Amino acid sequence: MLFGQSDHMNSVGEGCTDLKREYDQCFNRWFAEKFLKGDRSGDPCTEMFKKYQHCVQKAIKEKDIPIDGVEFMGPNKDKP
Amino acid sequence: MKIWSTEHVFSYPWETVIKAAMRKYPNPMNPSVVGVDVLDRNLDPEGRLHSHRLLSTEWGLPGIVRAIMGTSHTRTYVKEHSIVDPEEKTMELCSTNITLTNLVSVDERLVYRPHPDNPDVTVLTQEAIITVKGVSLSSYLEGMMALRMSANARKGWDAIEWIIQNSERENVPLCDLY
Repeated sequence: MLFGQSDHMNSVGEGCTDLKREYDQCFNRWFAEKFLKGDRSGDPCTEMFKKYQHCVQKAIKEKDIPIDGVEFMGPNKDKP
Repeated sequence: MKIWSTEHVFSYPWETVIKAAMRKYPNPMNPSVVGVDVLDRNLDPEGRLHSHRLLSTEWGLPGIVRAIMGTSHTRTYVKEHSIVDPEEKTMELCSTNITLTNLVSVDERLVYRPHPDNPDVTVLTQEAIITVKGVSLSSYLEGMMALRMSANARKGWDAIEWIIQNSERENVPLCDLY
């Protein structure tokens, strides 16, 4: 098993792993080569993300994962 | 009530460390993390990247523990919100468990930023609040929790270093033949 690349991590929904890995590869590339370098040109991963999300949200409902609710310590939202 | 905090320095620049942090799983130090999903991601008006993620962990609880807990579910879930500010060079992660919340709450906050005295290295400050429900936390329990958090934090730092080193190797030739 290869480590260090999030395209080898599983999704919480077993059937969503391939969609997740495809999206992760796209995101990681955009993150390193565009976002961190100050390039604000469009996000190339939107379509992939939608497909992936659709799958994950279904899996969350099926597994009854309590993703809504639960307040938690969040970052300071009072930034100017 | 902050009960545990620590600081660690990575001998790599901030961009390298946070690229690794974004790709932290899987890694050999955290084998119990079995699933990671991004639930939402967006840029805010200040240009900061927000990510909301769901992590699932499998502890491999022995049968007797599962019987006592009265559950066949051995998966625990954590939700995490991260914010990357590429101008200020900060990455902040906040996480909390969303299962077993009737027993315990573990809230954790991590912030990666360049070292104020040396911009080529990165400081990670990490803090956690652990609340055992319905029981006031004795100093003994707090001490045990702090030890556990320190051990886990060390694993986390090792994981980041491991990811960096295994990514670096792809780019650096082993021998200069010319």
